Amino acid sequence: MIRYTNLVRSFGATRALNGLNLEVRTGEIFGLLGPNGAGKSTLINLTAGLLSPDEGEVSIGGNPAGPGGGSRSMLGVAPQALALYDELTAEENLRFFGGLYHLAGRDLSGRVDWTLDFAGLADRRKDRVKTFSGGMKRRLNLAVALIHDPETILLDEPTVGVDPQSRNAIFDSIEKLHRGGRTIVYTTHYMEEAERLCDRVGIIDHGKLLALGTVEDLVGEYGGRSAVVVQTGGRETRIPTDDPVAEMIRLKQERRVRGLRLESPTLESVFLNLTGRHLRD
Amino acid sequence: MREIITLARKDLLLLLRDKAGFFFTFFFPLMMAVFFGTIFSGGGDGSRRMSILVVDEDSTEASVKFTEKLGGSEALKVERSGREDAAEMVRLGKRVAYVAVRKGFGEASANMFMGGTPTVELGVDPSRSAEAGMLEGILMQYGGERMQELFSNPALMRQSLSGALDSLTAPGTADFPEKQKITRFLGELKLFASDTGVRSADSGGFPGLTPLRVEKAAVIREETGPRNAYEVSFPQGIVWGMIGCAAAFGISLVMERTRGTLVRLRIAPLSRSQILAGKALACFVVTVLISVALLLVAWLLFGVIPGSVGKLAAAVLSISVAFVGIMMLLSVLGKTERSAGGIGWAALLVMSMIGGGMVPLFIMPGWMQTVSDFSPVKWSIIALEGALWRNFSLVEMMLPCGILLGVGILAFSLGVRAFRWTE
Ligand SMILES: Nc1ncnc2c1ncn2[C@@H]1O[C@H](COP(=O)(O)OP(=O)(O)OP(=O)(O)O)[C@@H](O)[C@H]1O
Ligand SMILES: [Mg+2]
Repeated sequence: MIRYTNLVRSFGATRALNGLNLEVRTGEIFGLLGPNGAGKSTLINLTAGLLSPDEGEVSIGGNPAGPGGGSRSMLGVAPQALALYDELTAEENLRFFGGLYHLAGRDLSGRVDWTLDFAGLADRRKDRVKTFSGGMKRRLNLAVALIHDPETILLDEPTVGVDPQSRNAIFDSIEKLHRGGRTIVYTTHYMEEAERLCDRVGIIDHGKLLALGTVEDLVGEYGGRSAVVVQTGGRETRIPTDDPVAEMIRLKQERRVRGLRLESPTLESVFLNLTGRHLRD
Repeated sequence: MREIITLARKDLLLLLRDKAGFFFTFFFPLMMAVFFGTIFSGGGDGSRRMSILVVDEDSTEASVKFTEKLGGSEALKVERSGREDAAEMVRLGKRVAYVAVRKGFGEASANMFMGGTPTVELGVDPSRSAEAGMLEGILMQYGGERMQELFSNPALMRQSLSGALDSLTAPGTADFPEKQKITRFLGELKLFASDTGVRSADSGGFPGLTPLRVEKAAVIREETGPRNAYEVSFPQGIVWGMIGCAAAFGISLVMERTRGTLVRLRIAPLSRSQILAGKALACFVVTVLISVALLLVAWLLFGVIPGSVGKLAAAVLSISVAFVGIMMLLSVLGKTERSAGGIGWAALLVMSMIGGGMVPLFIMPGWMQTVSDFSPVKWSIIALEGALWRNFSLVEMMLPCGILLGVGILAFSLGVRAFRWTE
């Protein structure tokens, strides 16, 4: 379990985190959803011990996070900024970082193979990272986080720039990790990812947690009404309603309709309702 | 320690992959050393023959023949000279050795069975005793050949035997127990030589059969200057290697931060001191490797022979410590690898310029030599030269080595303090 209590962290005049309280449960995939600059990476960095809080505290499994914490070898982190040695091959990167976690010999080789498979890079293992595409680097960045089979995994926007097919493969693998009992914190500003992967989602903006719960709960509570979108001529009209089916039948009878579309509330609408802004501007 | 080695190994691998870094740490210094060494040795004959002087004090047929033989040797570069001059040149370290053919050499050669042994005097630069051993071997070989010639030339031998018999039987020679026997033996040998001709003979031991006696003269080497230009250019080359190395690793430390890998290292179960120690170890290993590589090339190809291997090792280790410290300090001079690289190289070039890395120290004007006291490059060069050809005593070595160790420790601790762990 990761517990954040009254967490405050500023950079100069910017309050990146502003009194955040949160508990991530052991064994869940927790999605942290928020726009650019919301404070997601700051939260990840505090968890990884890369930053220390101005106020409040972070604890992982009861131990305080940070340089002194003994929890570091149980933690795997994929930083948002790629962190790889360009001049080394994919395999050499994995071997090096694995070595830092005291892996060696057959254990290390086994883990290297596993993570390369995980990232779909087995056929590029002998290539230098500088010859990789952006998405491949991103996947390797994720693989390195998993080299020592950590119990708690922090993934900071791990799929930016990854093509849909590889992304789906990664999601499958992450779900496999989840079934294996790992705790995963996953930040993103793609609500589709949060909806697909996460047991629970926290919505964060301006360093504060605005809402917390399962996707279903959040949509039910903050999503607002569904809407029916009617196309007449060249125009689209959006009509919010509590009973979309009845509304559609009514519209069909009343007007000369070229098309009808149902918009159910999503995390996007949850965010819009909570902040008055769209997730991506 | 395992972690530090893992970190250092990664850095060595990265250096191997970095062509520019590898060039500036290994090939550039070597090029500089060879280039300047060659220029200042006036073209350089490139031969590895041992330069010796030959003094012929005997001036007989035998002595001339002997010196000519020496002159024809593949391994030697022989010049003639007077005795005083020869001793002086060796004393000044300009030649490895002199061979003086003593008076009486010819006579002793002719009377090989009686009288004195042909004798040469050998004066060797004490710092080059390994070569002296080789020279002695060559001399003995020629002495032996001369005797063999005698045995295979019956006319010469008969002449030699007659001389010996004459001196034995001459009136007034003292009696000794074997006199009768030897006289009879020599007489028979003379008969044998005249009858058949001798191809070979057993040179088993009675007096007078030692082919050549080599007497060693004591030479005290005076310290004046380098024996060849490479003894100046290779220390400079090594310092260039150190500079390239400090720059390469200083920049690579900045790159760990800008490329984000430092984040990964900080997340891993490593302490901050382990992270920096890994970088320092890699830098240290490379500086030592560069020095050893350049010194080997200098020795094997350019005849730069260290006065003392132990002192040379001390010099190399102290210099490496100094430049590991400088590397650490360079890494805090800039935020990005570009600024750190720019500022770092500029600082290193100034350090090298005033420290004698470009223009040899002894050419500099006096005030400049004082300024150069502030450059670790100067102390590096002094330490290397002290061990290579200045024949520093242990106490004399302690000054440059001590300064270098001090610089290394100070620079390293300043660098560690100022190191920025985050962007
Ligand atoms: N090192 C830093 N120095 C100065 N300001 C910073 C630093 N790191 C973060 N901030 C500021 O803190 C706020 C939160 O940043 P953070 O990186 O946590 O956002 P984020 O939610 O991860 O955004 P994104 O989706 O763009 O990654 C931003 O306003 C950012 O400008
Ligand atoms: Mg971020």
